[in-house]
Amino acid sequence: MAKIEPGMEAMLDMYFFETNGLLEQLDEILLRTEQANAFEDDDIKEIFRIMHTIKGSSAMMGFDNLSVLAHKAEDMFFVIRENPNVITDVSFVYDLVFQVSDSYKAQIEAIQNNIGGEYEQMNFDELIDKLIKARDKLNSEASGEPAETSATAGASSSGPAPAGGNDKVSVRVFFEEGCQMENLRAFLLINTIREECSFLEFFPEDVETNAESSKEIVDHGFLITFSTNDDRDYILKQIETALNVQSYEIVSGEDAKPAAAEAAAPKAEIPPEPVKELKVEKPAPAPAPKAPEKPKPTDQSIEKAQAAVANANAQQAAAGGAQKQSLISVNLAKLDALHDIVGEIITTESMVISNPDLEGLELESFNKAARDLKKLTGELQDTVMSIRMVPLAGVFQKMNRIVRDMRKKLNKDVEFVMEGEDTEVDKSIVDSLQDPIMHLVRNCMDHGIEDDVQDRISAGKPEKGTLRLTAQNASGEVVITISDDGAGIDPEKIMAKAKRMNFLTKPESDYSEKEIQNLILLPGFSTNEQVTEFSGRGVGMDVVKANVEKCNGTIIVDSKKGVGTNFIIKIPLTLAIIDGMEITVGDLVFTVPISTIHESFKVEPEQILRDTSGNEMIMIRGVCYPILRMHEKFGIETEITDLQDGILLLVEANNKSVCIFADKLIGEQQVVVKPFPKYLSRYNIKGEGLSGCTIMGDGSISLIIDTNTLIG
Amino acid sequence: MTNDVIKEAVAKQQSGDRKLAADNSILGKVMTFNIGEQVYGIEIQYITEIIGVSHITKVPHVPNYIKGIINVRSKVVPIIDIRTRFGKPEIPYTNHTCIITLDFNDIAVGIIVDSVADVEDIHTGDISAAPENKNVNTNDFIQYMIRGEGDNTKLILDVAKLLDEQEA
Repeated sequence: MAKIEPGMEAMLDMYFFETNGLLEQLDEILLRTEQANAFEDDDIKEIFRIMHTIKGSSAMMGFDNLSVLAHKAEDMFFVIRENPNVITDVSFVYDLVFQVSDSYKAQIEAIQNNIGGEYEQMNFDELIDKLIKARDKLNSEASGEPAETSATAGASSSGPAPAGGNDKVSVRVFFEEGCQMENLRAFLLINTIREECSFLEFFPEDVETNAESSKEIVDHGFLITFSTNDDRDYILKQIETALNVQSYEIVSGEDAKPAAAEAAAPKAEIPPEPVKELKVEKPAPAPAPKAPEKPKPTDQSIEKAQAAVANANAQQAAAGGAQKQSLISVNLAKLDALHDIVGEIITTESMVISNPDLEGLELESFNKAARDLKKLTGELQDTVMSIRMVPLAGVFQKMNRIVRDMRKKLNKDVEFVMEGEDTEVDKSIVDSLQDPIMHLVRNCMDHGIEDDVQDRISAGKPEKGTLRLTAQNASGEVVITISDDGAGIDPEKIMAKAKRMNFLTKPESDYSEKEIQNLILLPGFSTNEQVTEFSGRGVGMDVVKANVEKCNGTIIVDSKKGVGTNFIIKIPLTLAIIDGMEITVGDLVFTVPISTIHESFKVEPEQILRDTSGNEMIMIRGVCYPILRMHEKFGIETEITDLQDGILLLVEANNKSVCIFADKLIGEQQVVVKPFPKYLSRYNIKGEGLSGCTIMGDGSISLIIDTNTLIG
Repeated sequence: MTNDVIKEAVAKQQSGDRKLAADNSILGKVMTFNIGEQVYGIEIQYITEIIGVSHITKVPHVPNYIKGIINVRSKVVPIIDIRTRFGKPEIPYTNHTCIITLDFNDIAVGIIVDSVADVEDIHTGDISAAPENKNVNTNDFIQYMIRGEGDNTKLILDVAKLLDEQEA
């Protein structure tokens, strides 16, 4: 167990955000390149950069195990980068890197779940061992020498460059601009490498005591001359990764001083900052084709160092130019607050505009101003909504990864097709959709696609299965479908199981095929006899359903035996603001979501039918609908109890319709949905036809009808 | 105030040590209010504001002592009628009837009281523990008592119990 260092908590959020972003980027690169079965130069560099950044920030946060893990992965890619042709078996590299990425995610999650407390520090030794072995293997292949380094792994060279020797090396170190107290940082750096060096000299020499020396360091860099008995690269690496070191360059001892000015010159062009760190890479060995040949001990000349600086500059300029920093990251809580405030403004606005004091007054210019205001607040609302919208691509990418893993594990040949991943939905919806989609994708892979290819062939289907994940906008809703062309759901099997588990609520013969298929969404229903790593515990589908319903969505199962299965998830675009129809019952005001209302009408007594137990029904265009009296349902006193005095609203949800009876229609209004106060959550209000409440123009509260639970 | 503080205060009063027994330091403040003839109090750290009774929106499917919800500056707050909660007969609301809104562990509620009386200090010497007789209904909500002059004893409510009490 370990604890997060005090003082670091504030940085944690940033660290999580950054690292998760990098890991996602990593996954994406891997998935993209895996299909091509080869690394591009740029990809390798990118992976290297990602690993390096993660290593640095993990070390800074004090997550040593993560830092070491990234370090080893970085080492491996260092070899690959220097010798791009070395990889003969790409897949094992992929597996390793995916493992690294997974371990990272697991550890980060563990830390995230225990912020402020203790978290379990995972043990990555095994994986690290694998990485070291892989590196050594690659290394030996690259240099054409037999692999013997693993025994001395800890001290071994991290690259093909030859180890140490007693040559003196001079290094000029530049610290990040504006990091301050350069002299002390330099002193710390010296202390870090002192033990490894057999000889050590530095200039300015009085860094520990003389604060003035920091100016010299800023202007000309900090010059270190050292020699070491074992690994020069190791020390260079130490320098490179030390805190606040922006860059270093290697100068040969004699010309150190004159070189300083020259070497510093290109540095001046460095644009301030978009990429986190700039590091001057060691001069690359001969170009790729000749790579397997062992590079000669590099003669560290100024020329090469300069070339490297220029090279790095160009790289950075390219990176900076391609992605201009037009994005900022904002804390979600702030957006939520903004969102709430906008909601309040809209309510307050209608409070002002339809203020009872204004009634009966001729207010021409007021009305004009009010219209303008309304237009602006409408735009404001749209903009705030759009800020919260994020594309589904992130979620979809993750599915890509899951399919890849399962394809390997289950040995099923499946093509994964994604469409509409740029569809945007509210951030909160994306978060709550990830699990359901993941679960459905797993289900499709595990149960959907046939285990045996022969089954597919004999069914006349292509050998390769298809798993399709699509998203699209359709009339204020996002429709997400997950479909496979697998075995489909066998209604008979479902029925048998449902019978065995007593899930049936009506006679067997009354169930339509569609209803039977939707039985699998019930809690505890899993038809897979065998529980696998991926699915089959029966705690899945009902959780999927609950999650989808949490964002006011619906899920439909549409399957044909032998042809395939479609899961269709429909989610309203935004959660918080709905178009509502205000109705009164007694002295209460209810809001019915307009999307569920089909029509409203007055009724004559002779249109009313009664069934044997006296329940009222009404026939509209040949279809008979039950009548639900709101005042009875909610126990409200009202004077209007005769159906012909009030009004009927035909509402529909979940393919079921009912006529609700209310006193009076007030009108249409956009309302901001507020949840019921926490204190009331112990009572089953939500289950009884109310989804929340809203504050109306005059400051009073209206209850929002949840048509789903009202009817159900 | 935690129960430990109350125990300590009571123990001090009963201790033989004169110095301790004479300790009459101020432990906090309570707001007192009337329900019928009885004076109750709530420690002020739980109180957010006092407002008049406005229109209360009824909510279905809740116990009868929850009168509904109101809008307090765009916050939706549930309202408990203390009279009904304590099993006393309801009386019509008057000009003195108030809603005291409380905040306890981020749960906001308002309680309806007959009238608000005063804000006063809690002195160590005035605290009495509540009798541990569980047969009397309302004792469940009383955390301790403050003795005043004469018969004027104030019952200090246990906000945690008032809000968390699960309806049987």
